[in-house]
Amino acid sequence: MSVAAVRIRDLKRVFTLKGVLDGVDLDIAPGEFVALLGRSGSGKSTLLRALAGIDHEAEGTGEIALPRKSAVIFQDARLLPWLRVLDNILLGQPGEARLRALQALEEVGLAGRELAWPHELSGGEQQRVALARALVREPALLLADEPFGALDALTRIQMHDLLRRLSERHKPAVLLVTHDIDEALALADRIVMLDGGRISADLQVPGRADRTLIALQRKRLLQMLGVS
Amino acid sequence: MNAHSGEIRPAPQLVAPTGRPVPLGPGKPGRYGHLLGPALLLLYWAVLSATGWLDPRTLPAPWTAISTGADLVREGRLQANLAVSAARAASGLLVGGVAGVLLAFLSGLSLLGGYLIDGIVQLKRGIPILAIIPFMILWFGIGEPMKIAVIAVAAFFPIYIQTHSALRAIDLRYVELAETLGLTRWQFLRRIVIPGALPGFLLGLRFGATAAWLALVVIEQLNASSGIGYMVTLARNYAQTDVMLVGLVVYALLGFGTDNLVRWAERRLLTWRRTLGR
Repeated sequence: MSVAAVRIRDLKRVFTLKGVLDGVDLDIAPGEFVALLGRSGSGKSTLLRALAGIDHEAEGTGEIALPRKSAVIFQDARLLPWLRVLDNILLGQPGEARLRALQALEEVGLAGRELAWPHELSGGEQQRVALARALVREPALLLADEPFGALDALTRIQMHDLLRRLSERHKPAVLLVTHDIDEALALADRIVMLDGGRISADLQVPGRADRTLIALQRKRLLQMLGVS
Repeated sequence: MNAHSGEIRPAPQLVAPTGRPVPLGPGKPGRYGHLLGPALLLLYWAVLSATGWLDPRTLPAPWTAISTGADLVREGRLQANLAVSAARAASGLLVGGVAGVLLAFLSGLSLLGGYLIDGIVQLKRGIPILAIIPFMILWFGIGEPMKIAVIAVAAFFPIYIQTHSALRAIDLRYVELAETLGLTRWQFLRRIVIPGALPGFLLGLRFGATAAWLALVVIEQLNASSGIGYMVTLARNYAQTDVMLVGLVVYALLGFGTDNLVRWAERRLLTWRRTLGR
Protein backbone atom coordinates (compact mmCIF):
# COMPACT_ATOMS: atom_id res chain seq x y z
CA MET A 1 0.00 0.00 0.00
CA SER A 2 1.40 3.37 -0.98
CA VAL A 3 1.00 6.54 1.05
CA ALA A 4 -2.51 6.64 2.51
CA ALA A 5 -5.28 8.91 1.22
CA VAL A 6 -7.00 8.62 4.55
CA ARG A 7 -5.34 8.02 7.88
CA ILE A 8 -7.22 7.63 11.12
CA ARG A 9 -5.56 6.88 14.45
CA ASP A 10 -7.19 6.02 17.74
CA LEU A 11 -10.35 7.96 16.95
CA LYS A 12 -12.81 8.27 19.81
CA ARG A 13 -16.17 9.97 19.77
CA VAL A 14 -18.83 10.21 22.41
CA PHE A 15 -22.31 11.57 21.79
CA THR A 16 -24.82 12.41 24.41
CA LEU A 17 -27.57 10.80 22.37
CA LYS A 18 -26.22 7.91 20.33
CA GLY A 19 -23.19 6.57 18.53
CA VAL A 20 -19.81 5.97 20.05
CA LEU A 21 -16.36 5.42 18.58
CA ASP A 22 -13.93 3.63 20.85
CA GLY A 23 -10.50 3.78 19.28
CA VAL A 24 -10.80 3.40 15.52
CA ASP A 25 -7.67 2.99 13.36
CA LEU A 26 -8.24 2.94 9.62
CA ASP A 27 -6.21 3.64 6.51
CA ILE A 28 -7.70 3.99 3.05
CA ALA A 29 -5.40 3.97 0.03
CA PRO A 30 -5.88 6.43 -2.84
CA GLY A 31 -8.55 5.07 -5.17
CA GLU A 32 -9.56 2.33 -2.76
CA PHE A 33 -13.27 1.60 -2.35
CA VAL A 34 -14.02 0.71 1.27
CA ALA A 35 -17.44 -0.28 2.53
CA LEU A 36 -18.10 0.29 6.21
CA LEU A 37 -20.54 -2.33 7.43
CA GLY A 38 -22.21 -2.57 10.79
CA ARG A 39 -25.47 -2.88 12.59
CA SER A 40 -27.36 0.30 13.42
CA GLY A 41 -25.74 1.92 16.43
CA SER A 42 -22.35 0.39 15.65
CA GLY A 43 -20.87 3.84 15.09
CA LYS A 44 -20.53 3.78 11.30
CA SER A 45 -22.41 7.02 10.72
CA THR A 46 -20.54 8.59 13.63
CA LEU A 47 -17.26 7.74 11.91
CA LEU A 48 -18.42 9.20 8.62
CA ARG A 49 -19.71 12.38 10.25
CA ALA A 50 -16.39 12.76 12.05
CA LEU A 51 -14.56 12.50 8.73
CA ALA A 52 -16.97 14.94 7.07
CA GLY A 53 -16.36 17.39 9.90
CA ILE A 54 -20.03 17.80 10.74
CA ASP A 55 -19.99 16.24 14.21
CA HIS A 56 -19.87 19.50 16.15
CA GLU A 57 -22.04 18.02 18.87
CA ALA A 58 -19.55 15.21 19.58
CA GLU A 59 -16.77 15.12 22.12
CA GLY A 60 -13.70 13.19 21.17
CA THR A 61 -10.01 12.73 20.65
CA GLY A 62 -7.82 11.19 17.99
CA GLU A 63 -6.19 12.07 14.76
CA ILE A 64 -7.70 12.43 11.29
CA ALA A 65 -5.84 13.23 8.09
CA LEU A 66 -7.83 13.67 4.91
CA PRO A 67 -7.22 14.82 1.35
CA ARG A 68 -7.93 18.49 0.77
CA LYS A 69 -10.70 17.76 -1.71
CA SER A 70 -13.44 15.56 -0.38
CA ALA A 71 -17.17 15.30 -1.03
CA VAL A 72 -20.09 13.90 0.92
CA ILE A 73 -23.22 12.13 -0.31
CA PHE A 74 -26.03 11.83 2.21
CA GLN A 75 -28.88 9.37 2.44
CA ASP A 76 -31.22 12.07 1.17
CA ALA A 77 -30.11 13.88 -1.99
CA ARG A 78 -30.17 17.13 -0.02
CA LEU A 79 -30.73 19.39 -3.01
CA LEU A 80 -31.79 22.95 -2.28
CA PRO A 81 -35.39 23.16 -3.51
CA TRP A 82 -34.98 26.80 -4.61
CA LEU A 83 -32.05 26.14 -6.93
CA ARG A 84 -32.29 24.50 -10.33
CA VAL A 85 -30.33 21.29 -10.88
CA LEU A 86 -27.29 23.00 -12.40
CA ASP A 87 -27.10 25.60 -9.63
CA ASN A 88 -27.34 22.84 -7.04
CA ILE A 89 -24.36 21.12 -8.62
CA LEU A 90 -22.43 24.39 -8.82
CA LEU A 91 -23.20 25.41 -5.23
CA GLY A 92 -20.06 26.99 -3.82
CA GLN A 93 -18.08 26.35 -7.01
CA PRO A 94 -16.56 29.11 -9.16
CA GLY A 95 -18.44 30.07 -12.32
CA GLU A 96 -15.91 28.44 -14.63
CA ALA A 97 -16.92 25.03 -13.23
CA ARG A 98 -20.08 25.29 -15.33
CA LEU A 99 -18.74 23.16 -18.16
CA ARG A 100 -17.57 20.48 -15.73
CA ALA A 101 -20.98 20.56 -14.06
CA LEU A 102 -22.68 19.89 -17.37
CA GLN A 103 -20.25 17.03 -17.99
CA ALA A 104 -20.95 15.59 -14.54
CA LEU A 105 -24.68 15.81 -15.22
CA GLU A 106 -24.14 13.90 -18.45
CA GLU A 107 -22.05 11.29 -16.64
CA VAL A 108 -24.88 10.56 -14.21
CA GLY A 109 -27.28 10.24 -17.15
CA LEU A 110 -29.19 13.48 -16.67
CA ALA A 111 -27.98 15.49 -19.66
CA GLY A 112 -30.49 18.17 -20.57
CA ARG A 113 -32.07 18.36 -17.13
CA GLU A 114 -29.88 21.20 -15.88
CA LEU A 115 -32.78 23.65 -15.66
CA ALA A 116 -35.18 21.30 -13.87
CA TRP A 117 -36.29 22.03 -10.30
CA PRO A 118 -35.39 19.32 -7.78
CA HIS A 119 -39.05 18.52 -7.09
CA GLU A 120 -39.52 17.66 -10.75
CA LEU A 121 -37.08 14.74 -10.43
CA SER A 122 -37.66 11.26 -9.05
CA GLY A 123 -35.84 10.11 -5.93
CA GLY A 124 -33.24 8.23 -7.97
CA GLU A 125 -32.67 11.22 -10.26
CA GLN A 126 -32.23 13.52 -7.27
CA GLN A 127 -29.58 11.19 -5.88
CA ARG A 128 -27.87 11.26 -9.29
CA VAL A 129 -27.73 15.05 -9.06
CA ALA A 130 -26.17 14.69 -5.60
CA LEU A 131 -23.61 12.37 -7.19
CA ALA A 132 -22.89 14.95 -9.90
CA ARG A 133 -22.53 17.63 -7.21
CA ALA A 134 -19.88 15.45 -5.58
CA LEU A 135 -18.15 14.66 -8.90
CA VAL A 136 -17.79 18.27 -9.97
CA ARG A 137 -15.61 18.87 -6.93
CA GLU A 138 -13.15 16.25 -8.25
CA PRO A 139 -12.80 14.71 -4.80
CA ALA A 140 -9.85 12.59 -3.74
CA LEU A 141 -12.15 11.17 -1.08
CA LEU A 142 -15.84 10.43 -1.43
CA LEU A 143 -17.81 9.89 1.77
CA ALA A 144 -21.21 8.28 1.28
CA ASP A 145 -23.65 7.72 4.15
CA GLU A 146 -26.10 5.01 3.04
CA PRO A 147 -26.66 6.94 -0.18
CA PHE A 148 -29.07 4.42 -1.67
CA GLY A 149 -30.96 3.55 1.50
CA ALA A 150 -34.03 5.55 0.53
CA LEU A 151 -34.29 4.24 -3.05
CA ASP A 152 -36.38 1.39 -4.39
CA ALA A 153 -34.63 -1.91 -5.18
CA LEU A 154 -34.46 -1.46 -8.97
CA THR A 155 -33.17 2.09 -8.79
CA ARG A 156 -30.62 0.97 -6.22
CA ILE A 157 -29.16 -1.61 -8.61
CA GLN A 158 -28.85 1.05 -11.34
CA MET A 159 -27.19 3.38 -8.87
CA HIS A 160 -24.72 0.65 -7.86
CA ASP A 161 -23.65 0.28 -11.49
CA LEU A 162 -23.38 4.04 -11.88
CA LEU A 163 -21.32 4.51 -8.72
CA ARG A 164 -19.01 1.63 -9.65
CA ARG A 165 -18.42 3.03 -13.14
CA LEU A 166 -17.84 6.55 -11.85
CA SER A 167 -15.46 5.47 -9.10
CA GLU A 168 -13.50 3.34 -11.58
CA ARG A 169 -13.21 6.31 -13.93
CA HIS A 170 -12.41 9.05 -11.41
CA LYS A 171 -10.62 6.90 -8.86
CA PRO A 172 -11.40 8.69 -5.63
CA ALA A 173 -10.91 6.89 -2.35
CA VAL A 174 -14.42 5.94 -1.26
CA LEU A 175 -15.84 5.27 2.17
CA LEU A 176 -19.35 3.91 1.77
CA VAL A 177 -21.39 3.45 4.92
CA THR A 178 -24.02 0.77 4.51
CA HIS A 179 -25.81 -1.98 6.38
CA ASP A 180 -26.43 -3.91 3.17
CA ILE A 181 -23.95 -6.77 2.76
CA ASP A 182 -24.82 -7.29 -0.91
CA GLU A 183 -24.25 -3.61 -1.61
CA ALA A 184 -20.86 -3.79 0.10
CA LEU A 185 -19.90 -6.93 -1.85
CA ALA A 186 -21.11 -5.48 -5.14
CA LEU A 187 -19.15 -2.24 -4.84
CA ALA A 188 -16.21 -2.39 -2.47
CA ASP A 189 -12.60 -3.59 -2.76
CA ARG A 190 -12.51 -3.97 0.97
CA ILE A 191 -15.05 -4.33 3.73
CA VAL A 192 -14.52 -2.96 7.20
CA MET A 193 -16.88 -4.09 9.90
CA LEU A 194 -17.64 -1.85 12.84
CA ASP A 195 -19.05 -3.23 16.07
CA GLY A 196 -19.56 -1.33 19.31
CA GLY A 197 -17.41 1.56 18.10
CA ARG A 198 -14.45 -0.66 17.20
CA ILE A 199 -13.33 -2.26 13.98
CA SER A 200 -14.16 -5.96 14.32
CA ALA A 201 -13.14 -7.16 10.87
CA ASP A 202 -11.24 -5.91 7.84
CA LEU A 203 -11.51 -8.07 4.72
CA GLN A 204 -10.53 -7.83 1.08
CA VAL A 205 -13.39 -8.56 -1.29
CA PRO A 206 -12.50 -11.43 -3.66
CA GLY A 207 -12.71 -10.81 -7.40
CA ARG A 208 -16.33 -10.33 -8.30
CA ALA A 209 -16.09 -12.97 -11.04
CA ASP A 210 -15.68 -15.72 -8.45
CA ARG A 211 -19.25 -16.34 -7.35
CA THR A 212 -18.50 -19.12 -4.87
CA LEU A 213 -15.93 -17.02 -3.05
CA ILE A 214 -18.38 -14.12 -2.91
CA ALA A 215 -21.07 -16.40 -1.54
CA LEU A 216 -18.67 -17.65 1.13
CA GLN A 217 -17.71 -14.11 2.05
CA ARG A 218 -21.36 -13.17 2.25
CA LYS A 219 -22.04 -16.04 4.64
CA ARG A 220 -19.12 -15.04 6.85
CA LEU A 221 -20.24 -11.42 7.00
CA LEU A 222 -23.78 -12.46 7.89
CA GLN A 223 -22.42 -14.57 10.71
CA MET A 224 -20.37 -11.67 12.00
CA LEU A 225 -23.45 -9.47 12.01
CA GLY A 226 -25.21 -12.15 14.03
CA VAL A 227 -27.56 -13.26 11.23
CA SER A 228 -27.29 -16.82 9.98
CA MET B 1 -61.70 -22.00 -12.04
CA ASN B 2 -61.41 -25.55 -13.21
CA ALA B 3 -60.39 -25.80 -16.83
CA HIS B 4 -60.87 -29.58 -17.00
CA SER B 5 -64.48 -29.82 -15.95
CA GLY B 6 -65.74 -29.19 -19.50
CA GLU B 7 -68.87 -27.35 -18.43
CA ILE B 8 -69.25 -23.76 -19.45
CA ARG B 9 -70.38 -21.61 -16.61
CA PRO B 10 -71.97 -18.25 -17.24
CA ALA B 11 -69.89 -15.27 -16.32
CA PRO B 12 -70.83 -13.94 -12.96
CA GLN B 13 -73.11 -10.98 -13.17
CA LEU B 14 -71.06 -7.79 -13.05
CA VAL B 15 -72.63 -5.00 -11.11
CA ALA B 16 -71.67 -1.40 -10.70
CA PRO B 17 -69.86 -1.13 -7.38
CA THR B 18 -72.27 0.26 -4.86
CA GLY B 19 -69.73 1.24 -2.26
CA ARG B 20 -68.00 3.71 -4.56
CA PRO B 21 -66.38 6.49 -2.55
CA VAL B 22 -68.24 9.76 -2.70
CA PRO B 23 -65.81 12.59 -3.49
CA LEU B 24 -65.48 14.57 -0.29
CA GLY B 25 -63.12 17.31 -1.46
CA PRO B 26 -64.58 20.73 -2.36
CA GLY B 27 -63.99 20.10 -6.09
CA LYS B 28 -62.12 22.14 -8.66
CA PRO B 29 -62.30 25.89 -8.12
CA GLY B 30 -63.60 28.09 -10.94
CA ARG B 31 -61.58 31.04 -12.13
CA TYR B 32 -63.82 33.83 -10.83
CA GLY B 33 -65.61 31.83 -8.17
CA HIS B 34 -64.39 33.99 -5.32
CA LEU B 35 -66.24 36.99 -6.81
CA LEU B 36 -69.64 35.37 -6.17
CA GLY B 37 -69.96 36.51 -2.53
CA PRO B 38 -69.07 40.18 -3.17
CA ALA B 39 -71.30 40.25 -6.28
CA LEU B 40 -74.31 38.97 -4.33
CA LEU B 41 -73.69 41.48 -1.57
CA LEU B 42 -73.51 44.29 -4.13
CA LEU B 43 -76.74 43.10 -5.73
CA TYR B 44 -78.50 42.99 -2.35
CA TRP B 45 -77.28 46.50 -1.55
CA ALA B 46 -78.38 47.83 -4.97
CA VAL B 47 -81.86 46.28 -4.65
CA LEU B 48 -82.37 47.70 -1.14
CA SER B 49 -81.25 51.15 -2.31
CA ALA B 50 -83.34 51.13 -5.50
CA THR B 51 -86.51 50.09 -3.67
CA GLY B 52 -86.00 52.77 -1.06
CA TRP B 53 -85.68 50.25 1.80
CA LEU B 54 -82.25 51.64 2.58
CA ASP B 55 -82.22 55.30 3.66
CA PRO B 56 -79.43 57.14 1.76
CA ARG B 57 -78.58 58.87 5.05
CA THR B 58 -77.74 55.48 6.56
CA LEU B 59 -75.92 54.09 3.55
CA PRO B 60 -75.94 55.72 0.09
CA ALA B 61 -76.62 53.63 -3.00
CA PRO B 62 -73.70 52.04 -4.85
CA TRP B 63 -74.17 54.35 -7.84
CA THR B 64 -74.05 57.38 -5.52
CA ALA B 65 -70.64 56.20 -4.37
CA ILE B 66 -69.52 55.95 -7.98
CA SER B 67 -70.84 59.39 -9.02
CA THR B 68 -69.47 61.03 -5.84
CA GLY B 69 -66.16 59.32 -6.51
CA ALA B 70 -66.18 60.70 -10.05
CA ASP B 71 -66.95 64.19 -8.72
CA LEU B 72 -64.12 63.96 -6.20
CA VAL B 73 -61.74 62.89 -8.95
CA ARG B 74 -62.88 65.79 -11.15
CA GLU B 75 -62.24 68.23 -8.31
CA GLY B 76 -58.85 66.60 -7.77
CA ARG B 77 -59.50 65.97 -4.07
CA LEU B 78 -59.46 62.19 -4.27
CA GLN B 79 -56.14 61.89 -6.13
CA ALA B 80 -54.44 64.48 -3.93
CA ASN B 81 -55.53 62.80 -0.70
CA LEU B 82 -54.84 59.34 -2.06
CA ALA B 83 -51.30 60.33 -3.05
CA VAL B 84 -50.63 61.67 0.45
CA SER B 85 -52.03 58.53 2.10
CA ALA B 86 -50.18 56.17 -0.20
CA ALA B 87 -46.89 57.98 0.37
CA ARG B 88 -47.39 57.74 4.15
CA ALA B 89 -48.23 54.05 4.05
CA ALA B 90 -45.35 53.28 1.69
CA SER B 91 -42.72 55.13 3.74
CA GLY B 92 -43.97 53.56 6.96
CA LEU B 93 -43.97 50.11 5.38
CA LEU B 94 -40.47 50.67 4.00
CA VAL B 95 -39.03 51.79 7.34
CA GLY B 96 -40.82 49.04 9.29
CA GLY B 97 -39.94 46.41 6.70
CA VAL B 98 -36.23 47.24 6.56
CA ALA B 99 -36.05 47.29 10.37
CA GLY B 100 -38.03 44.05 10.60
CA VAL B 101 -35.79 42.19 8.16
CA LEU B 102 -32.54 43.52 9.65
CA LEU B 103 -33.50 42.68 13.23
CA ALA B 104 -34.91 39.28 12.21
CA PHE B 105 -31.56 38.39 10.60
CA LEU B 106 -29.57 39.68 13.57
CA SER B 107 -31.62 37.74 16.07
CA GLY B 108 -32.07 34.67 13.87
CA LEU B 109 -28.45 34.21 12.88
CA SER B 110 -26.53 35.04 16.02
CA LEU B 111 -27.10 33.70 19.51
CA LEU B 112 -26.36 37.02 21.17
CA GLY B 113 -28.66 38.83 18.74
CA GLY B 114 -31.42 36.38 19.60
CA TYR B 115 -30.95 36.90 23.32
CA LEU B 116 -30.94 40.68 22.93
CA ILE B 117 -33.60 41.29 20.32
CA ASP B 118 -36.15 38.52 20.31
CA GLY B 119 -37.16 38.82 23.96
CA ILE B 120 -37.77 42.54 23.63
CA VAL B 121 -39.78 42.12 20.45
CA GLN B 122 -41.97 39.41 21.96
CA LEU B 123 -42.60 41.64 24.97
CA LYS B 124 -43.46 44.68 22.88
CA ARG B 125 -45.71 42.56 20.71
CA GLY B 126 -48.22 42.35 23.52
CA ILE B 127 -48.83 46.14 23.47
CA PRO B 128 -51.59 47.19 21.04
CA ILE B 129 -50.52 49.70 18.41
CA LEU B 130 -53.22 52.15 19.52
CA ALA B 131 -51.74 52.26 23.01
CA ILE B 132 -48.40 53.59 21.81
CA ILE B 133 -49.84 56.51 19.83
CA PRO B 134 -49.80 58.91 22.82
CA PHE B 135 -46.10 58.19 23.33
CA MET B 136 -45.42 58.60 19.65
CA ILE B 137 -47.07 62.02 19.75
CA LEU B 138 -44.97 62.89 22.78
CA TRP B 139 -41.74 61.85 21.07
CA PHE B 140 -42.34 62.82 17.46
CA GLY B 141 -44.91 65.62 17.72
CA ILE B 142 -48.06 65.60 15.61
CA GLY B 143 -46.46 65.97 12.18
CA GLU B 144 -45.49 63.52 9.47
CA PRO B 145 -42.65 61.79 11.40
CA MET B 146 -45.12 60.60 14.03
CA LYS B 147 -47.50 59.21 11.40
CA ILE B 148 -44.75 57.36 9.59
CA ALA B 149 -43.35 56.05 12.87
CA VAL B 150 -46.72 54.60 13.94
CA ILE B 151 -47.20 52.93 10.55
CA ALA B 152 -43.62 51.62 10.64
CA VAL B 153 -44.13 50.08 14.09
CA ALA B 154 -47.37 48.47 12.96
CA ALA B 155 -45.74 46.99 9.85
CA PHE B 156 -42.58 45.96 11.68
CA PHE B 157 -44.03 43.20 13.84
CA PRO B 158 -45.53 40.82 11.31
CA ILE B 159 -42.49 41.23 9.05
CA TYR B 160 -40.04 40.60 11.88
CA ILE B 161 -41.98 37.66 13.30
CA GLN B 162 -42.57 35.83 10.02
CA THR B 163 -39.02 36.39 8.73
CA HIS B 164 -37.54 35.33 12.06
CA SER B 165 -39.57 32.15 12.31
CA ALA B 166 -38.74 31.25 8.69
CA LEU B 167 -35.04 31.74 9.46
CA ARG B 168 -35.30 29.54 12.51
CA ALA B 169 -37.09 26.87 10.48
CA ILE B 170 -34.29 26.49 7.91
CA ASP B 171 -33.41 22.83 7.83
CA LEU B 172 -30.26 21.93 9.76
CA ARG B 173 -29.48 19.41 7.03
CA TYR B 174 -28.86 22.34 4.68
CA VAL B 175 -26.42 23.79 7.19
CA GLU B 176 -24.55 20.47 7.21
CA LEU B 177 -24.58 20.46 3.43
CA ALA B 178 -23.16 23.99 3.33
CA GLU B 179 -20.37 22.90 5.67
CA THR B 180 -19.42 19.86 3.62
CA LEU B 181 -19.47 21.95 0.43
CA GLY B 182 -17.16 24.46 2.08
CA LEU B 183 -19.46 27.45 1.49
CA THR B 184 -18.23 30.80 2.76
CA ARG B 185 -20.44 32.68 5.22
CA TRP B 186 -21.59 34.98 2.43
CA GLN B 187 -22.40 32.09 0.08
CA PHE B 188 -24.30 30.39 2.90
CA LEU B 189 -26.29 33.57 3.48
CA ARG B 190 -27.02 34.16 -0.19
CA ARG B 191 -27.75 30.60 -1.29
CA ILE B 192 -29.37 29.07 1.76
CA VAL B 193 -30.46 31.58 4.39
CA ILE B 194 -32.05 34.26 2.21
CA PRO B 195 -33.97 31.92 -0.13
CA GLY B 196 -35.00 29.86 2.88
CA ALA B 197 -36.39 32.89 4.69
CA LEU B 198 -38.02 34.47 1.62
CA PRO B 199 -41.41 32.71 1.90
CA GLY B 200 -41.69 33.82 5.53
CA PHE B 201 -40.69 37.37 4.65
CA LEU B 202 -43.32 37.59 1.89
CA LEU B 203 -46.01 36.28 4.22
CA GLY B 204 -44.92 38.87 6.79
CA LEU B 205 -45.00 41.55 4.09
CA ARG B 206 -48.63 40.70 3.33
CA PHE B 207 -49.60 41.01 6.98
CA GLY B 208 -47.36 44.06 7.33
CA ALA B 209 -48.99 45.86 4.40
CA THR B 210 -52.44 45.23 5.89
CA ALA B 211 -51.22 46.49 9.26
CA ALA B 212 -49.78 49.60 7.58
CA TRP B 213 -53.14 50.50 5.98
CA LEU B 214 -54.86 49.91 9.30
CA ALA B 215 -52.47 52.17 11.16
CA LEU B 216 -52.85 54.77 8.40
CA VAL B 217 -56.63 54.92 8.86
CA VAL B 218 -56.32 55.34 12.60
CA ILE B 219 -53.64 57.98 12.40
CA GLU B 220 -55.33 60.03 9.67
CA GLN B 221 -58.66 60.11 11.44
CA LEU B 222 -56.97 61.06 14.68
CA ASN B 223 -54.93 63.96 13.45
CA ALA B 224 -54.28 65.00 9.90
CA SER B 225 -54.93 67.80 7.44
CA SER B 226 -54.65 65.67 4.32
CA GLY B 227 -55.13 62.07 3.23
CA ILE B 228 -58.09 59.77 2.76
CA GLY B 229 -58.71 59.53 6.50
CA TYR B 230 -58.83 63.30 6.76
CA MET B 231 -61.29 63.42 3.84
CA VAL B 232 -63.55 60.91 5.58
CA THR B 233 -63.36 62.70 8.94
CA LEU B 234 -64.18 66.01 7.29
CA ALA B 235 -67.14 64.42 5.47
CA ARG B 236 -68.40 63.02 8.76
CA ASN B 237 -68.47 66.54 10.23
CA TYR B 238 -70.74 67.65 7.37
CA ALA B 239 -72.71 64.37 7.36
CA GLN B 240 -71.65 63.63 3.76
CA THR B 241 -72.24 59.89 3.92
CA ASP B 242 -71.48 59.51 0.20
CA VAL B 243 -67.94 60.91 0.60
CA MET B 244 -67.42 58.70 3.68
CA LEU B 245 -68.50 55.74 1.59
CA VAL B 246 -66.03 56.63 -1.19
CA GLY B 247 -63.29 56.65 1.47
CA LEU B 248 -64.25 53.14 2.58
CA VAL B 249 -64.29 51.86 -1.00
CA VAL B 250 -60.85 53.37 -1.62
CA TYR B 251 -59.48 51.68 1.52
CA ALA B 252 -60.95 48.35 0.45
CA LEU B 253 -59.43 48.66 -3.02
CA LEU B 254 -56.05 49.69 -1.62
CA GLY B 255 -55.90 46.76 0.80
CA PHE B 256 -57.06 44.34 -1.87
CA GLY B 257 -54.62 45.75 -4.44
CA THR B 258 -51.65 45.63 -2.08
CA ASP B 259 -52.38 42.05 -1.11
CA ASN B 260 -52.59 41.03 -4.75
CA LEU B 261 -49.35 42.83 -5.52
CA VAL B 262 -47.49 40.89 -2.81
CA ARG B 263 -49.07 37.62 -3.94
CA TRP B 264 -47.97 38.34 -7.49
CA ALA B 265 -44.43 38.91 -6.20
CA GLU B 266 -44.71 35.62 -4.29
CA ARG B 267 -45.60 33.73 -7.44
CA ARG B 268 -42.69 35.29 -9.32
CA LEU B 269 -40.13 34.75 -6.57
CA LEU B 270 -41.19 31.32 -5.34
CA THR B 271 -41.59 29.48 -8.63
CA TRP B 272 -39.64 26.59 -7.14
CA ARG B 273 -42.40 25.89 -4.67
CA ARG B 274 -45.03 23.31 -5.37
CA THR B 275 -48.04 24.11 -3.24
CA LEU B 276 -51.73 23.32 -3.28
CA GLY B 277 -52.68 26.99 -3.40
CA ARG B 278 -51.73 27.57 -7.04
